[in-house]
Amino acid sequence: MDAEQAWRDLQRVRVPQERVYDEVERSATGGSGSLWATAALMWLFLAGLGLDLPGWAVGPVMAAYVALLGALAVLDHRRSRVRLHRTRYTRRMFATFVAGAVVTGGTALLSGRLVDSLEPMPAGLIQATVSATVFVLFVGPTSRWAAGSARSRGTRVAATEASGATGANGAGAGR
Amino acid sequence: MSIPAGFDELIHPATRLSVVALLAATEWADFAFVRDSLSLSDSALSKQLHTLEEAGYLELHKEGGGRKRRTRVRLTDRGRDAFEGHVAALRAIVEGAGAGAAAETPPRQRQDSGAGR
Repeated sequence: MDAEQAWRDLQRVRVPQERVYDEVERSATGGSGSLWATAALMWLFLAGLGLDLPGWAVGPVMAAYVALLGALAVLDHRRSRVRLHRTRYTRRMFATFVAGAVVTGGTALLSGRLVDSLEPMPAGLIQATVSATVFVLFVGPTSRWAAGSARSRGTRVAATEASGATGANGAGAGR
Repeated sequence: MSIPAGFDELIHPATRLSVVALLAATEWADFAFVRDSLSLSDSALSKQLHTLEEAGYLELHKEGGGRKRRTRVRLTDRGRDAFEGHVAALRAIVEGAGAGAAAETPPRQRQDSGAGR
């Protein structure tokens, strides 16, 4: 094994990992439609709550919502072709997840307060539509942005390693 | 040149290195995804996967049945350690060669090559 061959092998390691990042980004852009399905479920749930349900019905509606979200998660897991290793997740991805929950939840609460004076039916529809729209508009682009950070980090680490190797190699820098 | 510690003869062949490199970035990957990403045939990939599985470097999980049957591939901790050791060994080879070349290069030339980087 000479340095030339070792250098080529190090380059060979990067290519298949790029395919993993491609797939992760493709999934984040809503390739499986899970973003739209989640938004649709949220709309149904919030619009349902806006029907001024009796107290006893709120629990079953909430349970059905959680169960459907769980089913969606299972379906998404079954459909996905790859899962990024836990060490490859970035802080930006975690932060985006938390921010998505805060922004969507905050919108649902705030819009609920703002339309409180309206009739239950239109108030529920407005709250559901605004919340689902904010969810799609916020979570869609930020998921793509966050997924891109995994590739950036991987590329940065690889570049640092490569420059370390070429820095020592000198001749390898021109390759 | 001596082979550094961590260099893994099992991972060294090009196809196996690509398979393990891909799996190192994942918790698990579908057989079909690995096959398509590396442009391999089913049989070629199966052969490599079974070699790595026998060495304890990866696990194969079959899920579902009939037409929906799918195989998920996961790198074990042992396989991950072996891959990281192998990459470190490759880097050591490149750096070792570089250090040798730098020692033989006159200082003026070393400055020139550094400026171009």
